[in-house]
Amino acid sequence: MSTATEDVDLVGEEIAANIARAALFAALTGVFAYVSFQLPVTSVPFTLQVLGVFLAGVFLGPVWGVASMVLYVVAGAVGAPVFAYGSAGLGSLFGQWGGYLWSYPLAAGIVGIGVHGRGELADPGHVGLGRLVGAMAAATLVIYAFGTLGYAIVGDVSLVTALVAAALPFVPAEAIKAAATVAIVRSDAVTAR
Amino acid sequence: MLTYEPGDSVGHRVGARSKLLLQAAFAGAAFAHTDPVGLAALTGLALALLALAATPPRAVFAEYRGVLPFLAAAPAIESFRLGAPWVDPAAAVGPALAAYRTLLLLALVAAYVRTTPVRESEAAVARLVPGKPGRLLGLGVGLVFRLLPVLQADLARTREAMAVRLGDRRPLRERIRLVATAGLTRALSRTDRLAVALRARCLSWNPTPPEATFGRADALALLLAVALLAWAAWDVWPALGVGG
Repeated sequence: MSTATEDVDLVGEEIAANIARAALFAALTGVFAYVSFQLPVTSVPFTLQVLGVFLAGVFLGPVWGVASMVLYVVAGAVGAPVFAYGSAGLGSLFGQWGGYLWSYPLAAGIVGIGVHGRGELADPGHVGLGRLVGAMAAATLVIYAFGTLGYAIVGDVSLVTALVAAALPFVPAEAIKAAATVAIVRSDAVTAR
Repeated sequence: MLTYEPGDSVGHRVGARSKLLLQAAFAGAAFAHTDPVGLAALTGLALALLALAATPPRAVFAEYRGVLPFLAAAPAIESFRLGAPWVDPAAAVGPALAAYRTLLLLALVAAYVRTTPVRESEAAVARLVPGKPGRLLGLGVGLVFRLLPVLQADLARTREAMAVRLGDRRPLRERIRLVATAGLTRALSRTDRLAVALRARCLSWNPTPPEATFGRADALALLLAVALLAWAAWDVWPALGVGG
């Protein structure tokens, strides 16, 4: 048996810390995909995945927020059961709801840029309400545009059907998730490090 | 929950990369041949692959119970007409075929997850994407696999604690905020410890990867993938005006 001896090229402290945070937010988004709540009036069950997308953008900023959601999508593609209701796999990305999954990295980037701008990361607790809500509204729009289009193309249905089946029932839930994100960011319970 | 099941079936012996390629080729063929004949042929193939991976179709159905109603929704809505005769079955054919195609793809995913250990998926990612980005991606994917059950237990405890204190009678917005805050604070407190642990273990850009093997089963999987891709291209090329 032979032993290979090579120089060890250590990963820097900052990158190690950031990859840990990105992986944790990706896993958190995956766990949120299992937590399902019911809307009071329509009783449509919905999951909290998008909340994970919002939080990744708000707490990690544009660069690592995107990285975190890329990790989420890739981990799901190779078999981690992180997509809605515990599904996973390459097939999910090309399935009926694949459009939603493709949009998450982009949406996290939009939230990140909207909240932090292009420079240093700001303290999310001190970002104005308008910026927070605006960034999340823009991200929600992108997520639903991708999702509805994906559902219509892959499912071979009209855009109207796709809107009725895959978007409209869930929009009220997004407003609740955005409100929850604002509440979390503004509360003292969570301090970003 | 869909997880790795140890075993020694043919599916277990095929490498992760070959299985991923086979899935992609199968998806390509399914998209090119979304007609009754094509899907019937692919159903046969999918059943054969499930058998080779020691994954009974019953297990697949049990796994995707939650997804099935959503799959059935599209054909149902599409066939609905605002006016007599209210239902137009012909309009549901296309969407029904598409929904069935999604089910076939999900069945293969179940077979993949049940036959592939996390370590191999992680290495497959690092090998598919070259250089440092591939290393970070592989590392991150491995971490996500391992953190998932930990965070899941955190959140389950939170919801249980909420239920015990009658928190599940609170308004929806309040419940979501509580669950998300608890999940986030736990995740953030784990982050720092994880980062320290990674550095303490000399996290490097060039670790020793698990051994990559290429056996007879891999060759057969590769051959099947190429055949599927060729079959997909057969129909798509003339449609694009290339060749023929």
